[in-house]
Amino acid sequence: MSEDITSLIKENVIQGRVTADDEGMDEGLVGQPGVTELVEQALADGVSVADIINKGLTAGMSVVGEKFEAKEYFIPDMLASAEAVGNAMEILEPYLTQSGISAKGTILVATVKGDLHDIGKNIVSILLRGAGYIVKDLGNDVEPQAIVEAVRAEKPQFLGLSALLTSTMVHMGETIQALKDNDLRDSVKVVIGGAPVSEDFARSIGADGYGADGFQAVAVVESLSAA
Amino acid sequence: MTTVSEHIKVEINEGRILRDVGYDTSCEPPARMKTLVHKYVQNASQLINPVYSYVIRDIDFVIGSNVFVEDGAIFQSRVISGLLKKCEQVAVFALTIDGYLEEAVSHLTDNGLVVHARVLDAIGSDAAEQVAKHVQHVVTQRAHALGLSTSRRFSPGYCDWDVDQQRMLFRSMNGSSAFIKLTDECLMIPQKSISGIIGIGASECGIESYNPCRTCCRHECPGRR
Repeated sequence: MSEDITSLIKENVIQGRVTADDEGMDEGLVGQPGVTELVEQALADGVSVADIINKGLTAGMSVVGEKFEAKEYFIPDMLASAEAVGNAMEILEPYLTQSGISAKGTILVATVKGDLHDIGKNIVSILLRGAGYIVKDLGNDVEPQAIVEAVRAEKPQFLGLSALLTSTMVHMGETIQALKDNDLRDSVKVVIGGAPVSEDFARSIGADGYGADGFQAVAVVESLSAA
Repeated sequence: MTTVSEHIKVEINEGRILRDVGYDTSCEPPARMKTLVHKYVQNASQLINPVYSYVIRDIDFVIGSNVFVEDGAIFQSRVISGLLKKCEQVAVFALTIDGYLEEAVSHLTDNGLVVHARVLDAIGSDAAEQVAKHVQHVVTQRAHALGLSTSRRFSPGYCDWDVDQQRMLFRSMNGSSAFIKLTDECLMIPQKSISGIIGIGASECGIESYNPCRTCCRHECPGRR
């Protein structure tokens, strides 16, 4: 029974279906329970949170990753699946501690001071949630000091900074400096991204990593996690 | 100086949006994505309110990478000076599709509909690009009527033209770009806005074909033409 529902969760992650209202990669699935309903059902049936995550969500995302590598899936398909997993993780979050399961880590994300572009940040957020991280979004146009305060309060393992303009990417360096000034720099790994940003720029401002796109950002966070 | 607020029929191509959101030209996107894109394209027109203005200025002279324009503006860029030294005039323009679409994108994002938000955002970018093509057409028609030709469009933030040079463009437009706010960081609000220049010169000076991308080694540049 447990196997049945976790298989269904896995299948619906692969289909990228958040709720019963969603169409999947295959047609004719509208009306059948999506990941949200299935996860709620699994919890009601007493299926362990570990099984829901490992046999359902993670197993599903693993197949999605393979399909993306094989060019069977494209960015929106991957995002739809990650969105389904992100929603499921929100439902599961209150049960994680009591189940002895910890998320892979917490990451704060922000678009830096002066910049309002958030599509890239939002895509990275959903992919990170899909990969099993707790993501707290500080929003756009975030002052360095506000980021410092959030790092102090939330104690995240990672901080993701985004900027789309050459005129605003300078505030990434200011934010890192503000972390140093407040003795918080060593407590958090900083990963940056955005169109004008590069590996060289990341190095020059003392960031720990740079993601050229959402998928690379997740890969960088994973590698820093493992280090 | 010309300021225009007119209804422009913006044609959004669904295939182009599917490519913009990430589908390879060689693949067949899933039916659900085609349906989603179709739905948003059908309803996007009520969120798009194109406005543009442009002003045509004489070019006083060009020294090195500096272009001195009649109103006192100075454009600083090797690429732009390379173009404008061949031109007699420059059309400085600004355009937007207004802010309704990006409000809708934010609303979708806030509700966790990131794929939907990505689709609508791509439609907005494409719509702004269509308005820019319209502006190019209008300026070119006007130049042709005078026996002149026009260059491609160039915008600050691309090539070696710094994004903070937008201040010079807005100064040159002398208030006619008031429908767009330029922040201290040179971010245009509404965000689905484009500012830039089009060179105007004699037909024989070859500005129509001026393309710095041909000699640029940044092959991954998103603005490559």
